[in-house]
Amino acid sequence: MKVQIRKANDVTILDCSGDVDLYSSPHLRETLMKEMHAGSPAVLVNMTEVGYIDSSGIATLVEGLQLSRQTKTRFGLFGLKGNARSVLELARLHKVFAIFNDEPEALEKISSTEPFGGL
Amino acid sequence: MGGVEVTKIVTSSDPRLLQVLRGVVRYRAQEAGFEESDAEGLAMAIDEAASNVIRHTYGNRHDARLALEIWTYPDRMEFVLEDSGRKVEPGEVQPRPLEDVRPGGLGTFFIKSFVDECSYEENFPAGNRLKLVKHFARKVSASDESPD
Repeated sequence: MKVQIRKANDVTILDCSGDVDLYSSPHLRETLMKEMHAGSPAVLVNMTEVGYIDSSGIATLVEGLQLSRQTKTRFGLFGLKGNARSVLELARLHKVFAIFNDEPEALEKISSTEPFGGL
Repeated sequence: MGGVEVTKIVTSSDPRLLQVLRGVVRYRAQEAGFEESDAEGLAMAIDEAASNVIRHTYGNRHDARLALEIWTYPDRMEFVLEDSGRKVEPGEVQPRPLEDVRPGGLGTFFIKSFVDECSYEENFPAGNRLKLVKHFARKVSASDESPD
């Protein structure tokens, strides 16, 4: 899995690609935690190129959501499909995260999203 | 297909190899007749079970033994995951309630979501032997349909 960081105005976007599993989720966690602490008002995780995510990857996203409460960062996901979307729905986490269809929608709505999701 | 087929994989407990296990499980499940979504679910169930072994049974050691047997029967597939780590105690592996939103605790929930049966072999001499079973959807024949 690769994670690339870019900025769109004030928003930090993490472009993830590949499988997020026990091997790769620590890398996503490290990057996510670092960006959360960096002071960006909003962090979005681009899941468009994520073909697979397991419970360790989901735990990383939940941890990011929890940290967003502490750092007062707006946090969201976009581009979920296939396995990534279905496992979040199965675990009933799709209503906890701010989830957007694509990047334009995410950038438009993240600033008006109620911060910190449903936690 | 009327016979029984088996695939056996023995690997190390290196998490980099989880994608190999997922790939083999997906391939064998689809080849056996499962839909793509079921095959993906089975790949995730075995991934989660193997991840549990690596994290909890082997304490994140990457050089221990992990063996997977995939048995294809006419009516079901069985996935047997064997390790040589510490014994898993009955009741130790339980999914957390979904309303309790926190990091972790979902692996067992996903395993139980994607298979029909999940059990540890009792009296396995050393380590653990976990069996996951998924039945093929039963085809409805004319004789199964109740008369009006």
